[in-house]
Amino acid sequence: MVKMFKYALDLILRRKLRTFLTSLGIMIAVMLMTFILFGMTDLQSAILTQFSSVFKPTDLYVSSQDMMGLSSMMSAPSKEAEKKEQVIVNEEIKEKIEEVEGVEDVYPMFILSGFDVYLEGDEIPYPRSFVQCVNLPGNHSMYTSFKGENPILKEDGIFVSDYVLSFFEISSEDILGKKIYVRSTTSRLLVPTTNKNMISREYVFTVQGVVETSNNAFWITADKGLDILVDIGRFTNRQEYIEKVGYSQILVSTAEGETLEVERYLTEELGLNVISTKTIVDFISTLTSGLAIALVVFGLISALVASIGIINTMVMSIYEQTREIGIVKAIGASNTQVLVIFLIQSGLIGLIGGVLGLTITYLLMKVSDPFLVEILKEQGFGSITQFFHFQPLNAIYITLGSILIGVLAGIYPAMKAAKLDPVKALRYE
Amino acid sequence: MSYIEIKDLKRKYVMSKEVSVEALGGVSFNIEKGEFLSVVGSSGSGKSTLLNILGGLDWEYKGKICIDGKDIKEYEPNFYRRHIVGTIFQQFYLIPSLSVEENILLPMKFVGTKVVDVKQRLEYLLDTVGLKSRREHLPKELSGGEAQRVAIARALIDCPKIVLADEPTGNLDSKTGESILNLLKELNKTEEVTIVLVTHDRETSKKTDRVITLVDGKNV
Repeated sequence: MVKMFKYALDLILRRKLRTFLTSLGIMIAVMLMTFILFGMTDLQSAILTQFSSVFKPTDLYVSSQDMMGLSSMMSAPSKEAEKKEQVIVNEEIKEKIEEVEGVEDVYPMFILSGFDVYLEGDEIPYPRSFVQCVNLPGNHSMYTSFKGENPILKEDGIFVSDYVLSFFEISSEDILGKKIYVRSTTSRLLVPTTNKNMISREYVFTVQGVVETSNNAFWITADKGLDILVDIGRFTNRQEYIEKVGYSQILVSTAEGETLEVERYLTEELGLNVISTKTIVDFISTLTSGLAIALVVFGLISALVASIGIINTMVMSIYEQTREIGIVKAIGASNTQVLVIFLIQSGLIGLIGGVLGLTITYLLMKVSDPFLVEILKEQGFGSITQFFHFQPLNAIYITLGSILIGVLAGIYPAMKAAKLDPVKALRYE
Repeated sequence: MSYIEIKDLKRKYVMSKEVSVEALGGVSFNIEKGEFLSVVGSSGSGKSTLLNILGGLDWEYKGKICIDGKDIKEYEPNFYRRHIVGTIFQQFYLIPSLSVEENILLPMKFVGTKVVDVKQRLEYLLDTVGLKSRREHLPKELSGGEAQRVAIARALIDCPKIVLADEPTGNLDSKTGESILNLLKELNKTEEVTIVLVTHDRETSKKTDRVITLVDGKNV
């Protein structure tokens, strides 16, 4: 077998350029496959880890609108869906939620967006800012960590995220006690359109704590947030705002094991939009799986094209080696040995493609990984230290797979070569 | 009982339903062990067909060929070609990318069992055919006579019982051809191998122990 392997190696090395060009197809297929295996798996787990660190599996985020647009992305718009979105999460709905079995806590939330947020002594407002208004203590699981003396927000207190620190280039110790100015400008307001005539206002807060959430956000109390919305929307009082606009969201903490049942009740019975950990996980899984499937399909198509290339090359080499096949048969090679020699040749082409693909992917991974990690960190995946993970065992499987593709593609030409009549082969010109 | 017995050997090539050619029409003769025999005939007399059958390249014949009392059809074709016969061709049929040494050792790549004395055998054959100094050379660097010597060494590497030579001097000048015939004659004695030489040249056949003449597929 070793002698036949050496002979087959000699045969393919006689045509180095053609062997290299044929193995390119396998190489591309391998590169796609390795990208999926070494990148996509970790991307999915990184997203899920990042998400799980912020959202508890028992928490549900309830609103009148489809907060992430998940349902609209997955289905065509309909009048019924539009009607469903008209539900206002008001006090009555809140009370109904509180009465649901399995619900432990209910935290109403408001979101102020489109405001300019300034730090005392700094002229540049924080970009992409939105202010969340919720009565959650700083040590709640929604925040990864809390730095500050009092975790319970005061009426004029504000929590800022670690992103805010890096933007204003200030340490968490130095920002504590500083003033934050939240200014509304009518041109930038993105608050619900049901508000009355809106006016420009400035609200002053004192930084009471820093939380790590990898989020572009500020937090104030729900009551203060509601007062701002009432004020800038010129509502008569809080009750009028809640009746006409409603809460932006409600964070519902459920008892373990009850989350699914509560979610079902809120969506089916109350007609509310609910985002749960499961919804997000399913959505992320769908996205990453879809991407992975697309890459696998491309990989398989590449492998198929590469196989056709190998078949073509091997059939060509039969014509070129016809006399040589005749010679080796005349001096004692059996049909099986000729078959094996050709299968070794096609397997070697697969192996070369596999090794080339893995090597190039490995080098690309090494070069691009720091940049990708940097980009992901900027996007909020602070926990990621490495995007690609080279997995030696999978590399071995991929190499074996490449050889297998080569061998499978070589079956037809090898059988054709093995069946050659030695007398005719020796006479072949 | 002779060493090789050929009885009523027939071979017909069917081209189509209507057209067929009878290359051998009942050839019978015996060959003794260690004999150096030539088969002579003009083009189309059936001598190459006879050699293909004797060489185990063509099994579609009628009649019987026995070697040492055993019908050759009892052998596995590749075993027969590997161990019983060694074949030398007019066009040498060396592998261009392999060196002299690698070409001689080529049949051993297809031998399943490990041949212990193959190196010793190689040295002996390189010495016998006078190519010890050219062992690393490629076929394109050899003369016709040297290439044929490589082919002879390749045919003998696995110590076959019979060597079949198909016009071994056909592509060589007369002087080189004579040296090849002398080499075959020498090997016939030293190796005690039976040699069947096919040629159209009467002069060449005179160097052999016995001559069989084929005319239109029959021995006369």
